[in-house]
Amino acid sequence: MATLFDVVFSGNDTVFGLTEGAIDAAIKEHGEDKAIAFPNTAYSLPCYYAVTGTKVGNLGELKAALGVVKTLMTREKRLNDVFMSGVATALCAEFIEALKYIDGAAPYAEPCYGHLADAIIRELGVPLVTGDIPGVAVIIGAAPTAQEGVDLVKSYQAQGILVTLVGGIIDQCAELGYKTGANVRVIPLGADITAVIHVVSVAVRAALIFGNVAPGDAAALMEYTFKRVPAFVNAFAPLDPVIVACGAGAIALGFPVVTNDVDTLAAVHANVPKSLIGQADVSKFNATSLEARDIKIKITNIDIPVAFASAFEGEIIRRGDMQVEFDGSRVDCFELVMTKDASEIEDHKIEVIGPDIDEMPEGSKQSIAYIVEVAGKSMQSDFEPVFERKFHSYLNCVEGMMHTGQRDMIRIRVSKDTFNAGFRAKHIGEVLYAKVKSEFAAVVDKCQVKIITDAAQCTELRHNLATPMFDKRDERLLTLTDEGVDVYYSCIMCQAFSPSHVCVVTPERLGLCGAVSWLDAKATNELDPEGPCQVITKEKVIDERIGEYEDVNDAVRKFSQGALEDVSLYSIIEKPMTSCGCFECICGIEPLSNGVCIANREYAGMTPIGMTFPELASMTGGGVQTPGFMGHGKHFIASKKFMKAEGGVGRIVWMPKDLKEQVADRLNATAKDLYGIENFCDMIADETIAEDPETLLAYLEEKGHPALTMEPMM
Amino acid sequence: MPFTAKSGKFNASIKPVTIGSGDKAATIGGENVLPFYSFDAEIANAPKVGIEVTDFGMEHEPECLKKYYDGCTTAADMVKKAVAFEGVDFISFRMEGGDPNGANKSTEDLMATLGEVIEAAGDMPLVICGSKNAERDAELLQKAAELAQGKNAIILAAREENYKTVGAAAGLAYNQIVGAESSVDINLAKQLNVLLTQLGVNASNVVMNVGSAAAGYGYEYVASTMQRIKAAALSQNDAQLQMPIITPVASEAWATKEASASEEDVPGWGDVESRGIDMEVETAAADLACGSNAVILKHPVSVATVSKLIKELV
Repeated sequence: MATLFDVVFSGNDTVFGLTEGAIDAAIKEHGEDKAIAFPNTAYSLPCYYAVTGTKVGNLGELKAALGVVKTLMTREKRLNDVFMSGVATALCAEFIEALKYIDGAAPYAEPCYGHLADAIIRELGVPLVTGDIPGVAVIIGAAPTAQEGVDLVKSYQAQGILVTLVGGIIDQCAELGYKTGANVRVIPLGADITAVIHVVSVAVRAALIFGNVAPGDAAALMEYTFKRVPAFVNAFAPLDPVIVACGAGAIALGFPVVTNDVDTLAAVHANVPKSLIGQADVSKFNATSLEARDIKIKITNIDIPVAFASAFEGEIIRRGDMQVEFDGSRVDCFELVMTKDASEIEDHKIEVIGPDIDEMPEGSKQSIAYIVEVAGKSMQSDFEPVFERKFHSYLNCVEGMMHTGQRDMIRIRVSKDTFNAGFRAKHIGEVLYAKVKSEFAAVVDKCQVKIITDAAQCTELRHNLATPMFDKRDERLLTLTDEGVDVYYSCIMCQAFSPSHVCVVTPERLGLCGAVSWLDAKATNELDPEGPCQVITKEKVIDERIGEYEDVNDAVRKFSQGALEDVSLYSIIEKPMTSCGCFECICGIEPLSNGVCIANREYAGMTPIGMTFPELASMTGGGVQTPGFMGHGKHFIASKKFMKAEGGVGRIVWMPKDLKEQVADRLNATAKDLYGIENFCDMIADETIAEDPETLLAYLEEKGHPALTMEPMM
Repeated sequence: MPFTAKSGKFNASIKPVTIGSGDKAATIGGENVLPFYSFDAEIANAPKVGIEVTDFGMEHEPECLKKYYDGCTTAADMVKKAVAFEGVDFISFRMEGGDPNGANKSTEDLMATLGEVIEAAGDMPLVICGSKNAERDAELLQKAAELAQGKNAIILAAREENYKTVGAAAGLAYNQIVGAESSVDINLAKQLNVLLTQLGVNASNVVMNVGSAAAGYGYEYVASTMQRIKAAALSQNDAQLQMPIITPVASEAWATKEASASEEDVPGWGDVESRGIDMEVETAAADLACGSNAVILKHPVSVATVSKLIKELV
């Protein structure tokens, strides 16, 4: 029984035989010195030139080139031989096509283009590089019906994909009067299968022009076409060996082949995962091809009946203007992002389960749960909360919609005007879909949204799906320690106004602004690899106690442009981390009590240090190291790494009352773990107890605060 | 104890970039010392001075320019005269009329004018500037790069919003030099260079416009950005910041009140022409001292003055 090897090799042999015959005939007729070239290209013959680095100028050279092609046609039964035979087939096709142009002939007539000039490639190359043309479809043969063929062409065209046509599909387009031409980005190449080389030639010249690939560097060429030319092949049944051999060439360049000839595939036991794909249903060619070639279509507009802009973000919807309210504090509501397998997701599917907004009584309080399911090769479940946190701003940007809270404590109001404009539950899905797909395109390949308004289902899912997920995430956060990860991240978002400051973000020490946790920084880095958050390794420990690493110092030196030499992660005295000016809190040494006082930005009063928050801020900001002062996020206060070098949270002697209440639970737990002290926060003074050092000291002595017995800090 | 001068020569250098071709080709960059520190090491390529012409020709130019461009109306007329002015190293053509919020001229019209300018400039190196509207520039500069094929011109500028289109057209498809424009921030400047090189643009074909301002108009930010970039490029050998810097001065300096307020309105300020020249020369001198490898000016006297300054110092 024939195998894929046999089919490709026989197709290759057939084409090689034809080519040899054609070249010999041409030499007989014109002589070996007869010039041969494609018109309007500096790279003639482009494919052969790119693969071998040799230009072919006349028939004699063409004959010699065919000898080189022959050397590619090895016949071991390995996948590489299949690919090389594919390349050989493509080169033969180029030779056959080149012969058609002998003597300045014009072998192609309207609507077919045949060879495409360099100028067209330069013109198409720019939108290909920018992604404005997201892909190149090569359709070969005739679809089962003309309508199916045209529908497929149309579906690609609507996505901005450049479509090239070879063979029967050209007639099918003509039959239904479908408009073709370079201006509408549907380019019929020619009737013969060999005409497919003209689109290969485009890809190859793109590599030479746009990729600076050196002619003859076949490996670099294939890497470029694989990585940068988002082309794919749709080949209609029946597949003959020549088409299969050409397909092998396409796969060698990194272009997957999708075909509806599943019988032939089965018969030859073809199994080239992700590259040779059977898809019996022609209407699914589009989705299958895009997924196989990893092409993402840019979403430019959000399909909702009202405006979407950041101008609406702060809009308040009063009770009287409200059509309906979803209130997580009274009924069961939640928002959730879940990572799924790509096969479980139908992209852009939006499902509403339960009554729609027009079936809800005006002014009523309702349940809602929306689950955004995403899949992607680079998706990680750590990104889920990062996406989720953005929902607040997405939904607020909808005109006449208000969103507060997160997780299962959300509250959403939809205004009467927005409802009357036609806004319904599915539009929430449209907004979430469009924003997640466009803003997180780097990691999200597919996305679908479920919107549940059925109260019973909301209750059930909240308890059995959402809550366990949230608990799992919290647990993950708790188990994330500085020791448990391999890398930290830099954050230089604030350098626009604090040019020498660099934050080193670790799992246990979030950015001093409180807004950038290690997970946020990680996601920022993955989504924008050249952006403000860069990976910092932590392999070369200098001093475990104060958290100083050689690699961290190198990174800080680099990202501060040399302004900062070295920092420690866990000390306030020795090489403390700098601050930009965004700190949520400032911590400063209080000498009399041998401890530290923390003031948060909201606190307007005096601290026992003798300075208010603004006065402390002037000491601490601007990217300079001030031993004894440190800016940090609120969340860091309860961290086991807080001032670890100086003894940890036990040094905290004073905090404003509000701040103390915010961090009490977590701080008490940390103190219990570290020192075995119960209710540690009760030992910490606040503005109602002391605003000067002497009163503070008296209070600490009365409470037996641990700082009093610790080693002197200075 | 004898005084031994320490050389401030660095082990890193700014990448040299040549604009144009033939006898008049101008090379900027290449130095391994701070601006004008020619006593530390030779500065092979002195900073260059360009003269700016816009698609409006004489239409929007200040009154005081008329006597230098006597008989000129179109941009091409002006370019023919400007190539002979003392101290002009290159011509800078700015497509001001392309701004959709301004004259919003058609691409065809602008390309026709550019075509005339290219011809008028002859073998003088060219800088082609957009309309300052990123979206429009993506289209305009792509066409301009095509039209100027073979000129080895600087296409100013690719910005964060349109770097893919402008970078691919200028840097890949048509082999021009890509001008990378960022707004007064060393990190943004570096990020844009990284993005352009990732796109495939050769780092030796990139020059930077790291932002500009007229002296006295928030200029300290520009000065500090340029200085930090030069410091990172030289002292830290940061390859992604070693592109030479080109700074448009004319459009900033002549937009200030000092340069434009009439003598009737502010009698105490003196001659309006010399005020404009002063603003332009002061700004340009500061840019050069902070590390610009090329400046773009408007007034022929400013050009001659700054060119003389450079010759005296290098």
